[in-house]
Parts: sequence; structure tokens; C-alpha cells
Amino acid sequence: MELLKISKKNFLSFVDKKMSEKKSRIVGVIQKGSHFVFDDLQSSKDLRLDYDVTILPPKKYFQPQKEVMLKFAPKNVESYVAVNSYDPITIFGIHYYDLAAIYLMDRAFSDGDGDEHYIKKRENSLLIGSYPQKHFKQRFSRSVVKDQYYKVADLMLVDMGDEYVIEVVSEKGKNYLKGSQLKKNTYSLKQVEEAKTHIKDDQKLPVTVDIASEFLTRNYYHSVWKYFGDKCFSCGSCVFVCPTCYCFDVCEEIDLTLAAGQRIKVWDGCMLENFAVVADGHNFRRDRADRFKHRTFRKVKYLPDRYRYFGCVGCGRCADACTADIAGPNKVFKYILEKQ
Amino acid sequence: MSDKPKVAFFDFACCEGCQLQVANLEEDIIKLLDLVDLVEFREVMTGSTSETYDIAFIEGSITRKSDEKRLKDIRERSKLLVAYGQCAVNGGINRLKNIWHSMDDVKKCVYGDDSYMPHLDTYPTKGVDEVVKVDLYIPGCPINRDEFLRMVKELSLGKIPRLPNHPVCVECKLKENICLFDKGVICLGPLARAGCGAICPSNGSPCEACRGTVDNPNKNAMHEILDKYNYTVEEIKRTINLFGVNPEVKK
Ligand code: SF4
Ligand code: SF4
Ligand code: SF4
Ligand code: SF4
Ligand code: SF4
Repeated sequence: MELLKISKKNFLSFVDKKMSEKKSRIVGVIQKGSHFVFDDLQSSKDLRLDYDVTILPPKKYFQPQKEVMLKFAPKNVESYVAVNSYDPITIFGIHYYDLAAIYLMDRAFSDGDGDEHYIKKRENSLLIGSYPQKHFKQRFSRSVVKDQYYKVADLMLVDMGDEYVIEVVSEKGKNYLKGSQLKKNTYSLKQVEEAKTHIKDDQKLPVTVDIASEFLTRNYYHSVWKYFGDKCFSCGSCVFVCPTCYCFDVCEEIDLTLAAGQRIKVWDGCMLENFAVVADGHNFRRDRADRFKHRTFRKVKYLPDRYRYFGCVGCGRCADACTADIAGPNKVFKYILEKQ
Repeated sequence: MSDKPKVAFFDFACCEGCQLQVANLEEDIIKLLDLVDLVEFREVMTGSTSETYDIAFIEGSITRKSDEKRLKDIRERSKLLVAYGQCAVNGGINRLKNIWHSMDDVKKCVYGDDSYMPHLDTYPTKGVDEVVKVDLYIPGCPINRDEFLRMVKELSLGKIPRLPNHPVCVECKLKENICLFDKGVICLGPLARAGCGAICPSNGSPCEACRGTVDNPNKNAMHEILDKYNYTVEEIKRTINLFGVNPEVKK
């Protein structure tokens, strides 16, 4: 992989230049009160690459919270028109674990016939990643993410103090850099590696990823599920903030004239009480404990079984968002180990 | 004669804030009038009209014997009866008075020396469904205009309108708000029924569950959390109870 470098000052001018070119929507991490969010950049000055974590992951750009799939006039089959919008987008500063999550999303949405709405948005995106420069008390990414983030990143920024080393991951990334004030990298690989990993995680998965699935399966009937289930509000915060949760519902909206409508996709999640309600009102995951168990198994067993990679990237958002303080998958392992 | 449903609005004990939400629909009210035939918006006549309605929207809570008579009469003349606004749904904010031991104390506190005037007579607050059968509920204090419109559209299309059964936290997360618990503020969002767009936390105020709770609120869990914040049992109950939510938990 080619390594280049650029001064921070020149990097910011590069971002401003890209913004003024208006060839794509430019998104980056900005401050929101005491927290951080991905949002449209107004100026490179707002870009905060020193963030700890964002409230929502960047999945919101590829799997919008509400997305129109088609428009129609009721009771008129001829009237159905598919809708898909995918303007080019460039995202600055996605942490490596969120990129690992996008890799999983890509796999899931291209399975079988694939989901055109997601795929087209991804094809028209350019992802510029980074490595955390600040502690976040709930994060345990190092113990669950390998190097799958390189499969989706176009460029990775490594913070060297006054300069960034840029890892040029894709051809598309390389082209994007044309016209910027780049220099040859002068740092040793060891220095770069150190800069990428010097912020250590505060948490870790208490077992190794390789045995996690088998470990959990063995504890399918453990008391941990009821213990956490009893404390759970079924509020869904843990799934909405999760970068690897992609569930959605499909519904229809009719306008007030009753003459026009649209079919939409909206975020949904397995922790919500009505998620698994089917015809005739039957709910096949009626108990909180079952829902809690399903979510954990999805991260630790179902996704890895299918896509080879762990279904949780250890971002710690769920643990942070959970009022009941039970959502971090690492906590489930910790509880089981303590009760053995 | 049009084939549009005949619709009427009535109010009982309330602030009329929910009516105002409907009146404030602005240009949508014109489109709404294409959908329905509005025959009564403010009860000006006494209960003796013989008009019948396809849909009667009831606002406000029931606080007097005479209310019951009027309500039952409306029910008899209506195919579908909708309780709209939390006052109608479960008594809402008016239900707070039921916590007092005696209605005389309540009246004295509110009306002072005039409390014995006959027109101020009152009994413990009831929601509409404690007096007559309710076919549909539109919760909220006040109601959410978009939800109201959705319900009317769905009724016009012959669908059964449903309420969201997930907590306000869902909508709060979608808005990417900083959770108030992070700032040490107690919020009832995890129990409250969504549908308002998490309007209060989005503006920095805690949710007080003005739309009631989801079908199965985990009140035990909320008691545990409030306990962690050193709330007494009484304080916990009062926090949960503001809009008539029963604060008791299953042991
Ligand atoms: S389960 Fe939690 S820690 Fe894991 S990726 Fe999702 S939000 Fe992050
Ligand atoms: S955030 Fe916590 S309380 Fe809410 S659904 Fe998830 S585990 Fe349950
Ligand atoms: S529900 Fe609230 S806004 Fe509506 S009438 Fe009652 S007090 Fe007023
Ligand atoms: S502020 Fe309230 S509604 Fe929002 S996430 Fe926190 S508890 Fe839920
Ligand atoms: S946030 Fe809570 S109190 Fe505010 S409108 Fe919504 S349900 Fe009512």
C-alpha cells in the first residue's frame, strides 16, 4: 500500500477545495454539544478528527432512516415508479471500526439479488477513514476488528502530530488526491503503526473472537438472558446506534388527497416489542429476554457464521446509549464468566 | 348529499389545546374538508340534537355527572367514537386531582371561597372509556397534528389506524440527540409511547410521557434507575404519574 504525507494545514485547504468544487456532498465529523456527529461540512474548520465516537454511525448515509422506494397512485398498478437517489458523497474521518461495519453491511446488502437502494449509494461514495485519537470508555474494537476495514476504505488518515500520513487504499482514493500538496512519506512503518494504535481501548471482549460463538451457544439457556432482559426497556437505542444493525420496515404513506402515495423504508430493530409480530398478531419474540438474546447472538454467531467476520465491531455506542447500562455485548460475556 | 363521512368534534373538561391543533392544520385543513363533512366543531347546542355522525371526536376528560349524560348521548348517535388528546384518553393532566384524598380539598384549593358553587361541582376525573366504549385513541397533550391526519386518512381508506408501540427513545435516537440521562436529567422516554417525534428531548426538556406508555412499559426497570438517582418511592411515582400513567409495578 502506498503511503504519502501532507501537512495538516494543507489537508484542510484540500478539504475546502473539495467543498468548493461541489462535485460531491462532503460529510465529516463535527461537534454537537458535548458529543460528535457525522454531518455536512460547511467549512474544513468544523472537521473534528480528534473525536471519540459519533452518536450515530455513518450507516445513515447508505441506509437512510426514511427512504422512498417507489411512488404510486392507489389502486392503479400502472402508476408505480421506482425511486432511488444516490448523489455522490465523500465522508471524512470514519474510524476504522465503522469501516469494518460498512464492510459487513456491504456483504449483507449484496447477498442474493442485492438491495439496489443501498448498493447504488455505496458505489457513489468515497470513504476517508481514520484511527481514534481519543479514548472512549466503552470501546473494545481492538479485540474484535482485524483489518477488514481496508476492504472498504479509499484512504486512511494517520495522525502524526503536525502532519497526516495517508494510506492510499484504493485507486479511487488515489485519484481523489490529485492536485493536493502531497509529499512522500518519511516516517518508518513502525512510527506509522504506533500512531495508528497508540490510543488503547478501555474495554475488551473477555473471550477471543474465535471461540466467542461457540462459548455463547453453550450458554444458550444461561440465566444471563433473563437477568438482562428484566432490565431492558425495549427502547431500541442499542440497535439504532449500532453500525452493524441494518434492519428496516417497509410501509406506505398516502397523501391527504388520497390520490398519491409512496412506499418507504424506515429503520426498525429486533429489540423493539413489535419487531417480530406477524399476521394474526403472533409475536415470535415476545419476551424481552428472547429479544436480548437474539440481538447478542446475531452479533456473535449468526453474522460470523454467514460472513466470517464478527458481527460487532466494538464501537461501544450501544453501551453508551443504553439507559439500563446492559447493552454492550462484552458485558454479556463478562456476566457469564463471573457466574461460572 | 355527499358520501363523505360526517364528522363532529366535542369537548369536555380540557384546555381545548387539542382542538387548537386541529384548527392550526393551516392549508391541510382545506384538504381535510375534502375528505370529511364537518358537521360540528364546537358543541353549541345542548345534548338534544338528533344529528347522527360517522365519526365523533371527543376531547377532554369526564368530571361531572352531567358530562356522562352528554357523552352517552353522543355515543348513541355516533358510528365511531374517537378519544383524542390525553384528557380524553385517560383523564390526562386532570387526573392529577385524583391523587388527593377528598374532592372537597381539591375544590377548596382551586376555587377558594367559591368552591361550593353548584357549577363547580366535580368528581374524580375519568377518561372517556370509563363512561362509554371508545373505538380509537389519539394520545398526546396536545395531540400531534401529523398523527391526527394519518388517523383520519386511514379511517377514510377503511384501514384500522395503529399507534406506534415503541418508546420515545427511538425517535430521540433518530434525531441524534444527546440523551438527557447523560446530563443527569431524568427522562420518561424509555417508557413513553412514540409518535411525537421526541419533541421534548429534542428541545432539551425531559419526556413526561404525555402520550401514555407503550403497551408493556418496563416500569420495574425505571424504578431501578430512579432509585439509582436516589429518588424516593413517592418521587418515583409522582414522576411517572404526571399524565395519568399508573406508577405501580408488578412485584
Ligand atoms: S453491538 Fe454495540 S459495540 Fe458492537 S458494533 Fe453494535 S453498537 Fe458497537
Ligand atoms: S438500549 Fe438497553 S434498554 Fe434499550 S433496548 Fe437496548 S438493551 Fe434494552
Ligand atoms: S390533552 Fe392536553 S392539550 Fe389536549 S385538551 Fe387535554 S390538556 Fe389540553
Ligand atoms: S433523552 Fe429521553 S427519550 Fe431521548 S434517548 Fe434519552 S431517555 Fe430516551
Ligand atoms: S417527548 Fe414525551 S412529553 Fe414530549 S410530546 Fe413526546 S411523549 Fe409527550
